[in-house]
Amino acid sequence: MSGEDTRARFERIVRPHLGDAYALARWITGDRADAEDIVQEACLRAFRAINGYSGGNTRAWVLTIVRNTAYTWLARNRSAVVTTVDDLAATEHANASLAEASADGAYAANPESDLIAMADAARLEAAIAALPPHFRDTLVLRDIQGLDYREIAAVTDVPVGTVMSRLARARQRLIRAIEAGE
Amino acid sequence: MTIVTHGEDDRAVLLVHAYVDGELDPANVIALEQRMAAEPKLAAEQARVVALRRALRERLPQEAAPPSLEARVGRTVGLTAARARPTWLALAASVLLAIFASSGGTWYALQSPADDGTAEAVIAGHLRALMAPQAIDVASSDRHTVKPWFNGRIPQAPRVIDLAQDGFPLLGGRVDVVGRTPVPSLVYGRRQHLISLTAIPDASVAIDKSQSARGYNVIAWTADGVNYWAVSDLNPSELQTFARLFRDAPS
Repeated sequence: MSGEDTRARFERIVRPHLGDAYALARWITGDRADAEDIVQEACLRAFRAINGYSGGNTRAWVLTIVRNTAYTWLARNRSAVVTTVDDLAATEHANASLAEASADGAYAANPESDLIAMADAARLEAAIAALPPHFRDTLVLRDIQGLDYREIAAVTDVPVGTVMSRLARARQRLIRAIEAGE
Repeated sequence: MTIVTHGEDDRAVLLVHAYVDGELDPANVIALEQRMAAEPKLAAEQARVVALRRALRERLPQEAAPPSLEARVGRTVGLTAARARPTWLALAASVLLAIFASSGGTWYALQSPADDGTAEAVIAGHLRALMAPQAIDVASSDRHTVKPWFNGRIPQAPRVIDLAQDGFPLLGGRVDVVGRTPVPSLVYGRRQHLISLTAIPDASVAIDKSQSARGYNVIAWTADGVNYWAVSDLNPSELQTFARLFRDAPS
């Protein structure tokens, strides 16, 4: 019976990534209850689409659906947040530049990087939450969920070059936030 | 504080990040390592990125999905809603089996001469719809499209009402089978929830009940000789609102 096949496929393809799906939705919305609603809706979408899924990276496929569902959800429920997403274009065209916080010339890198590495969880979370949405999901996909550039490009539907610049900008903002807080 | 805007430096910064991520090809790795050795600013950027990645990895708490979410997802896609942590493959057994075999208590309350299995059938229809690639056979928010679609498929097209202004948009319709009779089901949406409204004509006994079973809420009523069954995982009060709106709507 094809219904069984569909459920088995869901088990194999979607189920293993529920944790990542929830984490991504939570980072995007900043809210646990919203994240649960989004994952539920995303799973239903994945379930309906699963027989058309042609293979490849299952995690990237699932996270793509979760991310799209999350932004659709935000547009529906919190339109103000999504307006800021559209404002991003200008920001993104600004190129990543050497962190402004660092002085020219010679300095010892170690004390600075030690300080960054010791940043406490609350400050990190606040700094990530403060990132513009597309910087944030790029950073989460790379530095928290461990996807590679190509996978992130697929999930966020942008060229690899855009992934690179978003990631660099996101990291530099986090670094500045950590250093500014000390 | 200096802001470096030189294009080549910008490119170098991106390459440093990609280098830390192991995304550079060998030729670029060699070139960049030479540059970092010569340019302290790039070496410092590399140290910061490595440190940040370490902080994100080691300092952020790992938060797993709550167990309730797994049950909820299972319910959504038609696997049964077991308490605690279900073994998913074991749950891949038939939803119908679960409904018939393990919910006797709840169902007993729903049984009455008017039901004769109707409740099971309408919930099964709802679940099948959730499991299918499309929950609806005709997808349209226009009642003037949905209603004619039923003509020719079933003896009597149902009353179709647009409740979009009340927050229950019409999504479409499908044909379910209750007993051996094909009957029309309308599908409405409420946020991420679907509501199946099955209309069974020639009601011999009037019904008026609301119940929940296996995570689904069911409201049934009779109007103009038609028994209506609304099924959804939507909460009871909103489903009640839906039922009232539908019942009270002018044709």
